[in-house]
Amino acid sequence: MSLIEIENVSKEYKSGTEIVTAVNNISLEIDRGQFITIMGESGSGKSTLLTMLGGLSVPSKGKVLIDDLNIYALPQNNLSDFRREYLGFVFQTFHLIPYLTVEENVMVPLAVGDLTRIQKKEIVHATLDKVHLKEKSKRLINELSGGEQQRVAIARALINDPLIILADEPTGNLDSKTSEDIMDIFGFLVEESKTILLVTHNKVYQSYADKKIFLKDGKIYGGD
Amino acid sequence: MKIYSIAFQSLRRRKTKTIFLIIGLFLSVTSVVTLITVSENINRSVAINLDEFGANIIITPKSDQLMINYGGLSLGEVSFNNSQLSDNDLQKINTIKNRKNLSIIAPKLFETVNLKGKNVLIAGVRFSDELKLKKWWVIKGKSPLPPNNILVGSNTAEALRIKLNDTVSINEQRLVVSGILSNTGSQDDGLIFMDIFTAQTLFRKLSKLSLIEIAALCYDCPIEDIVSQTSSVLPTANVTPIKQNIESKMMAVHSFERFSLGISLVMLVTSFLIVFANVNSSITERTKEIGIFKSVGYRNSHILQIILTEVIAASLTAGLLGFFAGISASKLVLPFLSMHGLSSFTYNFTTLPIAVLLSLFVGITACIYPAIKASRLDPTVAFRFI
Repeated sequence: MSLIEIENVSKEYKSGTEIVTAVNNISLEIDRGQFITIMGESGSGKSTLLTMLGGLSVPSKGKVLIDDLNIYALPQNNLSDFRREYLGFVFQTFHLIPYLTVEENVMVPLAVGDLTRIQKKEIVHATLDKVHLKEKSKRLINELSGGEQQRVAIARALINDPLIILADEPTGNLDSKTSEDIMDIFGFLVEESKTILLVTHNKVYQSYADKKIFLKDGKIYGGD
Repeated sequence: MKIYSIAFQSLRRRKTKTIFLIIGLFLSVTSVVTLITVSENINRSVAINLDEFGANIIITPKSDQLMINYGGLSLGEVSFNNSQLSDNDLQKINTIKNRKNLSIIAPKLFETVNLKGKNVLIAGVRFSDELKLKKWWVIKGKSPLPPNNILVGSNTAEALRIKLNDTVSINEQRLVVSGILSNTGSQDDGLIFMDIFTAQTLFRKLSKLSLIEIAALCYDCPIEDIVSQTSSVLPTANVTPIKQNIESKMMAVHSFERFSLGISLVMLVTSFLIVFANVNSSITERTKEIGIFKSVGYRNSHILQIILTEVIAASLTAGLLGFFAGISASKLVLPFLSMHGLSSFTYNFTTLPIAVLLSLFVGITACIYPAIKASRLDPTVAFRFI
């Protein structure tokens, strides 16, 4: 059984008086531990597809099943809990909380859990170690470089040990050397059986992928 | 780290926003505490001044005879012929529980005499108390001090053609007119005032009294208590509160209280709008942050908790600081508003919980709508900011 099943999913929204179809009747199956790249031009529906997979945007039609759960049939609070347990998000512009330190930013998803302070600290330090940022744990976000900030965002995405990492152009704001470092981290995560969905413009990263999806006008038009 | 830690770090590290939020509430609490404290002090001062301005309790002997009026107040008919009140009663009055509220006790003995063929009412008084009680008296000449001096009401002086420094003979006692009372428009214009002991001796009524007037300070005690306590120590007397005086005094005091309350409400509404605008703009700015919280799996209630914790912490700080600033401001302002009777500055520590609760009320009510709106923000809308 696939970890992610998307069945005839469409997403329409209103733009003025027009109805725009961002994602048009997509069906897809993704297995546990796969590295998927989603490519396409701007406006092709990549990010919309990702937010629907992340339980953040209700599809106009179709179903999104993750671990056999129809996520949009869940009540609001359960859907939030699902996101916390199953998903980790990484964004192009990092989206860290500027008034929190590195350690605190990574700990944000754990603040609503039941772990003790010591348990939380241990997990955070272990996760920061994975992204080679343990020594900068007390720094504020604006004291870090772009690559370091993205590594903090990855650490935050990993902190709850999610099954799925959803990354929307995570290297879009980074130089090529730093981008490679970030992609190496993703490669390492796949080895840990994480399922990664990476939205990217960069064709170079196709080499990391087990499965490539190309989108055009909200439809899958190629890939394997 | 817990949810509240995020709120505290936000307050600690977003200093400008925090300071603006606290200042909005702080100014309102400071103004309200200042107004409450200043108005309490001024009310007390006004009340004390008004309490000393004329009697508000009158004690007369109990009688089943026809009444004779003194300034619209009934005196027992027997009081002229058979005084039932005595000097001992003055001592008894001074034993009541609220004796500290008795500002002036003014005993009187009334007697009619015939002078130059006309009946005149003589009032034996303790001039020291009478002059304090009737601050509106204007005396031509001197206030009578020696026991053989008298003060003549304006109508009596005119009717009997009595002039200043004249000598009047009453019951073969020669008395000097040391002062003539300017027209007061009251019963005092038709009287002759003399020292009470002189009157008691002259009319052979040693220790006897016709009535006792009392000016009680009733700002912080109900006049009914004083009346009832006095009645219990003087069971053979009628103790009557002068409602008209009390009501007009309380009306003056309450007018100022209403004025203070009105200003306080204006301050509260202003503060509410400042805090509302502040929290609302802060939440709009934090849409991206709310999107992040949603993406990592925060429920609506978690986001509401963060915003409310921030506002509650800011409100508590503003409430505490506002209380102390308000007390200090009152201390600075009161000397400029100083009036007779405002001898000491007092403040009430019960204002502290009021200040804190007020701050919390304004803070929470101003933020509740934007906070709920933020917590219910559609993740896709929040994500447009991401």
